[in-house]
Amino acid sequence: MTHATSAARWLMRRALFAVLVVAGVTTLTFVLIHLAPGDPIYLLAGDGGNASYYDSMRAKYGLDRTIAEQFVRYVRAVLSGDFGYSFMYQQPVIGVVLEHLPATMLLGGTSLLFSVILGFGAAVLCAIWRSRWLDAAVRGVSSVAYSAPVYWTGQVFILIAAVKLGVLPSGGMSTARESLEGIAYVVDLLWHVLLPAFTLSLPLAAVIVRVSRASMMETLGEPHVRAAVARGLGRSRLILRHVAWNASIPVVALVGQHAGQLLAGAALTEALFGWPGVGHLVLHAGAHRDYPLVTAAFIFISASVVFFNVVTDAATSWLDPRIRLT
Amino acid sequence: MTLPGGRVAWVVLLAAVGGAACARKPAAPSATTLVVAVGSDPGALNPAVTTSGSTHPITDQIFNGLVGLDEQLQPIPELAERWTVEDGGRAYRFALRPGVTWHDGVPFTSADVKFTFEQALLKYHSRTRAALEGLLDTVETPDDLTAVFRLKRPYGPLLQRLDVVEASIIPKHQYEGHDLLHGEPARKPVGTGPFRFVSYATADRIVLERNPTYFRQGLPGIDRLVFRILPNAASAVAALESGDVDYTVSVPGPDIPRLQRTPGIAVVKSAGGSGGSACQDVLIPNLTRRPFSDLRVRRAIAHAIDRDFIVERVYFGQGQPATGPISRLIPWAYTPDVRQYPHDPAQARKLLDEAGLKPDATGQRVAITFTHGANQQRLGQALREQLKAVGITLNLEMLDFNAAVERVFVKKTFDLGLASFCNGADPEIGVRRVYVSSNIGPYPFSNGASYRNATIDALFDAAAARVEKDQRRETYVEIQRILAEEVPYFWLIDSETLRAHRQTFTGFRLWTGAFAETVRPVSASTPSKQ
Amino acid sequence: MQVAAATRTGLLATSAFRRTSGSMSVRAGGIVVGALVLVALAAPLVAPADPFRIAGDALTPPSTAHPFGTDDLGRDVLAGVLHGALNSLKVGLAGALSAALFGIGIGGLAAMCGGLADDLLMRVTEFVQAMPRFFLVVTIVSLFGGHLWLIVLVIALTAWPDTARVFRAQVQSILGRDFVVAARAAGCSERRILWRHVLPLTIAVVGAHASYQAGNAILSEAALSFLGLGDPTVMSWGTLLGSAQFMVREGWWVSLFPGIAITLTVLGCNLLADGLVTESPEDV
Repeated sequence: MTHATSAARWLMRRALFAVLVVAGVTTLTFVLIHLAPGDPIYLLAGDGGNASYYDSMRAKYGLDRTIAEQFVRYVRAVLSGDFGYSFMYQQPVIGVVLEHLPATMLLGGTSLLFSVILGFGAAVLCAIWRSRWLDAAVRGVSSVAYSAPVYWTGQVFILIAAVKLGVLPSGGMSTARESLEGIAYVVDLLWHVLLPAFTLSLPLAAVIVRVSRASMMETLGEPHVRAAVARGLGRSRLILRHVAWNASIPVVALVGQHAGQLLAGAALTEALFGWPGVGHLVLHAGAHRDYPLVTAAFIFISASVVFFNVVTDAATSWLDPRIRLT
Repeated sequence: MTLPGGRVAWVVLLAAVGGAACARKPAAPSATTLVVAVGSDPGALNPAVTTSGSTHPITDQIFNGLVGLDEQLQPIPELAERWTVEDGGRAYRFALRPGVTWHDGVPFTSADVKFTFEQALLKYHSRTRAALEGLLDTVETPDDLTAVFRLKRPYGPLLQRLDVVEASIIPKHQYEGHDLLHGEPARKPVGTGPFRFVSYATADRIVLERNPTYFRQGLPGIDRLVFRILPNAASAVAALESGDVDYTVSVPGPDIPRLQRTPGIAVVKSAGGSGGSACQDVLIPNLTRRPFSDLRVRRAIAHAIDRDFIVERVYFGQGQPATGPISRLIPWAYTPDVRQYPHDPAQARKLLDEAGLKPDATGQRVAITFTHGANQQRLGQALREQLKAVGITLNLEMLDFNAAVERVFVKKTFDLGLASFCNGADPEIGVRRVYVSSNIGPYPFSNGASYRNATIDALFDAAAARVEKDQRRETYVEIQRILAEEVPYFWLIDSETLRAHRQTFTGFRLWTGAFAETVRPVSASTPSKQ
Repeated sequence: MQVAAATRTGLLATSAFRRTSGSMSVRAGGIVVGALVLVALAAPLVAPADPFRIAGDALTPPSTAHPFGTDDLGRDVLAGVLHGALNSLKVGLAGALSAALFGIGIGGLAAMCGGLADDLLMRVTEFVQAMPRFFLVVTIVSLFGGHLWLIVLVIALTAWPDTARVFRAQVQSILGRDFVVAARAAGCSERRILWRHVLPLTIAVVGAHASYQAGNAILSEAALSFLGLGDPTVMSWGTLLGSAQFMVREGWWVSLFPGIAITLTVLGCNLLADGLVTESPEDV
């Protein structure tokens, strides 16, 4: 079998599995929310109405039909690209999700960047300096950063950076007062993303520092590296050229897997900082029984997890041909 | 709807390529932009089809009602310049204000009023429909500037139901032919009100601007009104303190004392607004179940509850201990001169003994379950402590808000529940529904206790049919006396929500939905931000 | 639970502590976790007061009467932290047990049976892994109510896939080795091979995963409370931290002590896990 056909087969299998996962999650979500106690009509219609009012609204939203009937209608609609109408936003669901996507991408992208810079940077420093104290400090900080809940560290950062020092905004995505345009808008946006992205980046940075440090240590011990040192190659240059490159492969895998989880994983950070992203949207939609929105968001989130897993596997295999796609 | 989506997308790219820049343009507060923090997205902006507390704070600035409400919640002219009550209270004739135009330039006429009531309010606005369905016969429009409401029977409190919160008037020419619930016009609302819609970025902000042709001369006093969506109340308060936000509609309890001490920030009480006015938080006993079917037990529990503690600790002083079924914030109808239940555990124990609920070996008399939503966790825990002191075990059952509402009001499989009943501008709007036997449900915020008393039913009918305020007060006083004797509910607190604004602005009309109409900057040297 | 499950697996696979500080890590982690167990079991004796009892004024800073201060209802935060330990322990234990039992069961079954069963079980595992698990937990708990047993159940049901995958890989690798082949040739039963040869070699890694999942479960429960979905009838650190989120500035102590307690406990679990991975035989 040639390499190309095996790669194609692998892709086919993964794609099929992805479809199954998404279908399974959709069904599970749909069944769960419809089995749950509580009638959504009381949230999506007004309060203080009478029985005839609620009956008419139920019919209006199709909630008077059986679960099976609603499910069939839903699946049929989704297959034709229609994810339904958000109860809460009174808009097509797809538009609501897409509107929240850029914010999550910005937060997620920035936090991944921070994770890599912080984590990989610290590991490289450790490898170059080989100081026991630095090592111990990095290990200690990363252990705590990995263990502390982000909504707690986030609170502490808000307290310090926004309340006590007043140097960073405490939440939101942009300055409320002005309607900024062009470069000022970009700067303002980046200014707002710093604190939440930093908060969100810490646990992954902690993992990256440990994984890349371990793999650097391993590489440093290998014969060809020792030989290079013996030939008089400078330590910093050596690390940056050979060691760091090797250590980047597991980091790519980590970042890739993490990227898939970001849509959902940023939810708590988004909630704490009032960041208008997808995760926060789902929490909000769940509390408001916005069935179409919750279901659609689950579809998007699981699709993104599966997608990034595939991309990650492909990328790591490309970076290191020893890793085979299976 | 303008959306930063596209822009954000290229910022993502830029950030990925170039890293984060760390320069910041200093904020230059423009005195004529009022920034308001709100907690959630409004979604569609059609006020005539929803009672949503996320939609109305925004739309109430864009639209008008036929009448406005003054600080005593009495009707004052708005889109209707004057009105006369005819036919013994069976007809209301409104003379509409001439020369009013919609934000798109189309003149406002009586056809808009008729359309709004018949196509929107009476179909989709839950409270207005529940009140006027079967009561409002027709809306006649003899000419462009006259609207006549014909009722099937006399109805005193009609005018209080016609403000912007309960009955915003929407433009017929925009909505006709659209599905009112899912209609496009709700994305770019066109009203008659003090502010015009500019843009709405989902989950971020809604921008409104001054309506230069507003019919009230000289208003509004600000150029731009920006609603910033900040779901986390703590972030909203931080933004208020840092000066990014000028006004926040809710303040987390623990922050209240600090904000009150902060120079430049005013913490103000508000009994009303878009979310409902003169609200009372009320415990709902299931009267069809033991032990609440026994009046002595109800009175014992009323004595066991320490309202002062609850108001102070659980509600952080956002209101006053309730004394009866009508909030003291409807002063013309309220009376404190009814049977009272001061906090008195000894008296409570005595009453429970009389009711035959003797303590067992562990001191426990009876166990009841309190069904509540996530927001009432602290209340539940405080109540549990207070009832424990008289030998009642309170089990806490926390459900999702919606599920709790369903259990209490729809399924009625509960012992003790809780609701915030907003009394509204008139007891007829928000008090009647809680006590009359015709409203036992099953639907939310009805008579959840299943209280039945023919005398009370008749008195509420009598109060509604009267137009004279003095006569109506007499009837409501009697209602309060009877209900206080019977304690079909446990009235905890007459809520007064605290809101906070920076003192760079003044003129907030906190009793009505249209809070921003009269807001203006304090012109004298603006205090620097801290 | 911010870090993807897969990430954790990566962390375990290439532990930074290998060779350097395995036993130290186990010791440190063991001490922290042991202390938690002690506190949890002793809480009713050390702090007999009901943690829900209103013991003083609202939001008083730490003092001799209330070493951790009081919360917004005037309840003693120290009593809350001590009593909360038991619930965090329960939640953590559920995560650990689920990871260990389901992980061993499903991973082991897949490895031993091979073929179609292996394929099927691994697809199920991957399916659970690909689900937005935290959201699922949030949705279920918000829809069906914040009962501790439900929270524990849902967390447990989603905690096993990583362990299952790793365990399966390990068993497969061991089964292929010479000594197992030899044992088989000598007539050892599959069960005996599993008990005598496979489990001893993998127990440390399973322990490590269980330990990680314990920390993870504690974080998940606290996150639910942060979102207001915790169980209101039991005192847990999550509940404390959840109610503290509006008091960060007015009462830093309400947030600080439960936050430290959670961080320490999760840290202990993670250290234990790191150490156990290091202690496990090389080249497994």
